[in-house]
Amino acid sequence: MLDATTTFFENLDRRGYEPLLTKVSGTLRFDLHEGPQTRHWLLVIDRGRLQVSQEDREADTVIGTSPALFEDLAAGREHGLAALLRGDMTVTGDARLVVQVERIFPGPSDSRGPRRLFHQEVR
Amino acid sequence: MAQANTVRILDGNTFVVSEDTGDIEATPTEPTGLFSIDTRFLSRWVLTVNGERLNSLSYDDLQYYEARFFLVPGMATHYIDAKLSIIRERTVGGSFHEQLTILNHDEKAVDLEIRMDAGADFADLFQVKDEILNKKGETYAEAEPDRLRLGYRRGNFRRETVISSSQTARYDRNGFAYSVHLEPNEQWNADIEVQTFALGPGGRDLRMGLLAHSGERLALQHDLEEWIAAAPRVNSECEHLSRTYRRSLVDLAALRFSPLSLGGQTLPAAGLPWFMTMFGRDSILTCLQVMPFAPEMSRTTLRILASLQGTRFDDFRDEDPGRILHEMRYGETAAFEEQPHSPYYGSVDATPLFLVLLDEYERWSGDVALVRELEQECRAALRWIDDYADLVGNGYIWYERRNTDTGLENQCWKDSWDSISYRDGRLPGFPRATCEVQGYAYDAKVRAARMAREFWGDPAFAERLDREAAQLKERFNRDWWVDDGQYFALALDSDGRQVDVLSSNIGHLLWSGIVDQDRAEKIAGHLIGPRLFSGWGVRTLAEGEVRYNPIGYHNGTIWPFDNSFIAWGLRRYGFAEEAATIADGILAAASYFDGRLPEAFGGYQRELTKFPVEYPTACSPQAWSTGAPMLLLRTMLGIEPHEGHLSVEPRLPVGMGRIEVLDIPGRWGRVDAFARGRLDLHKLAT
Repeated sequence: MLDATTTFFENLDRRGYEPLLTKVSGTLRFDLHEGPQTRHWLLVIDRGRLQVSQEDREADTVIGTSPALFEDLAAGREHGLAALLRGDMTVTGDARLVVQVERIFPGPSDSRGPRRLFHQEVR
Repeated sequence: MAQANTVRILDGNTFVVSEDTGDIEATPTEPTGLFSIDTRFLSRWVLTVNGERLNSLSYDDLQYYEARFFLVPGMATHYIDAKLSIIRERTVGGSFHEQLTILNHDEKAVDLEIRMDAGADFADLFQVKDEILNKKGETYAEAEPDRLRLGYRRGNFRRETVISSSQTARYDRNGFAYSVHLEPNEQWNADIEVQTFALGPGGRDLRMGLLAHSGERLALQHDLEEWIAAAPRVNSECEHLSRTYRRSLVDLAALRFSPLSLGGQTLPAAGLPWFMTMFGRDSILTCLQVMPFAPEMSRTTLRILASLQGTRFDDFRDEDPGRILHEMRYGETAAFEEQPHSPYYGSVDATPLFLVLLDEYERWSGDVALVRELEQECRAALRWIDDYADLVGNGYIWYERRNTDTGLENQCWKDSWDSISYRDGRLPGFPRATCEVQGYAYDAKVRAARMAREFWGDPAFAERLDREAAQLKERFNRDWWVDDGQYFALALDSDGRQVDVLSSNIGHLLWSGIVDQDRAEKIAGHLIGPRLFSGWGVRTLAEGEVRYNPIGYHNGTIWPFDNSFIAWGLRRYGFAEEAATIADGILAAASYFDGRLPEAFGGYQRELTKFPVEYPTACSPQAWSTGAPMLLLRTMLGIEPHEGHLSVEPRLPVGMGRIEVLDIPGRWGRVDAFARGRLDLHKLAT
């Protein structure tokens, strides 16, 4: 079974387009550090079009986390902006890109959404 | 009262609250300190000379970012024979800077031990009014040869205060000291720098990375001068009106807030000092109030709120797709998810008001590009209104928090726990729907229809929105009308029963336009009638209701911001004299507060107290109180954008004399408005 991180990036690459990022262009590199090892994911956004690779290339924004934290982010168990405030995630470069890209991460899987009085599932 | 003699200065979300000596000794009842990004970086800052505390002769808060304290040794006596003067001059601008000057007036030389006790508890802003006993991380203090480092560490979360001085000082873990010899008439100076750090792993400051793209900020003085020069000038025969306007303008400058992530753009924060952060509702309503005077604030507010619009379900944050945020915080409790403000979305009015603000802004500025830029966010907001907010499935906006530990029970502007009650004083269950929010939704749809038709090239969508708005209006006027009182209910409960008290919320309904024309006169009558109108303004809850209390936070006090929208609503329906009556009362009240309207004041009858009784509150200035005089001016002058022009139709009370507002910016360039008071209000209010 694939880990949540790989699934997250592969889904982005496969989707190829994210409407929430239509107004966004830039590159983000995610550096997942573990001891001496760093795994890189590079996300290139061109007005919502997405391209993912594992290149270690210069980027507008570089985000650093542990692989474990990124797993939790990719699975919706952790929240990016809280992690950033906590210092568990670091950012160098253009911070606006982080705020924009954070929005495409999933919410918590146990969140039910609005509680309707008329018993109808939320779409 | 502790609040009375505290001195506050700020820049962005860095601010200092101190005693009138400049000292800081934080306690839960006197939450003084140096604060930045929602964290207290100094909780102790006490100056002594030869072991003696100092006594304040006077202080000046020169500008919002600087203050000066004149002190002498020893405690107050009826006669102070001072041989020494001590002057503390401080500025907040990125860091906190204090210049100490000591003058020897004696004919003899003196030897002085000058000491500053310094300490930091690194309390989160949410904790400053509690005893701080159980911080989860550890604090540390390191005295170095040339600086004192105070710190707090919890995992990777690290905050540090670094204190240094231009004069050689002896640093210890609790402060620093100087030994000074002063000849007669000699003076001594030291510049003390206090820097705050929010450190991530590797020692990089959280804000360094984030501020990389912010523009070069002008020197604070220059910035304030430019801000004032760019705003319209108000000349008035009525002196307190000019003073109130000037005060509002400066306070609004102080309340500009630059979120960490958005590159130096500013929006109005909610209030100083505890709410120097982004609030959806407060920022939007303030932008609406100040539109004729500072329209550019709307653009940044809309952009910032759009960039943080909800995209998913997150029950802890009460987030839904399309929802506009309620509050963003940067402190420890938000970071460790002990509070949901990263950001928190628990408000139901920010989302429709976002649409209202965008349309209003375009009418003034002609900034069509922004309306096109935010089309997607507008559509998401409209979907939220129709779908996720309609918890009962009957076409209204409802609220019920999903975060039952730390979320907000009442998600409308009257957000205290007991603000929504039936006539018999009982509180309804959840979900609840309050009336003014339905008005906002109506207005949002009408305005979105215009934007869809004129700018998004989607006439079918526009038609649908217009139809939905008309249906909402019809439904609302049927379901919310309280027959035996002839007004609109404050709320509906989940069984569709009316929460039937008479409240100020009905004034917002006039502003939004949801009120059927033939009922407007009744509403206007209530608003300036004896149960709601005190002589100063409209009470949040009418006299005679079970929960009415003239100093009940949302149950009887008068809120200047509330009144400014009520006056605008009255004017919209043609009740110019009623609007002027309210404007006159609130502006008269402002003169008792030196032009700075408080968040709220007591609902006592004007004849009873003769002056407005301030509600004890920690926040002043507060953004939407600061904006209130500007909206009242707009209302009295009847200035409205109209087909690319600015139309002016003044209806002023006699006592106001002549008023001119010069250089009102907008799509028309800059135009002036002139008016003379002609309305005799006494005929009306009695």
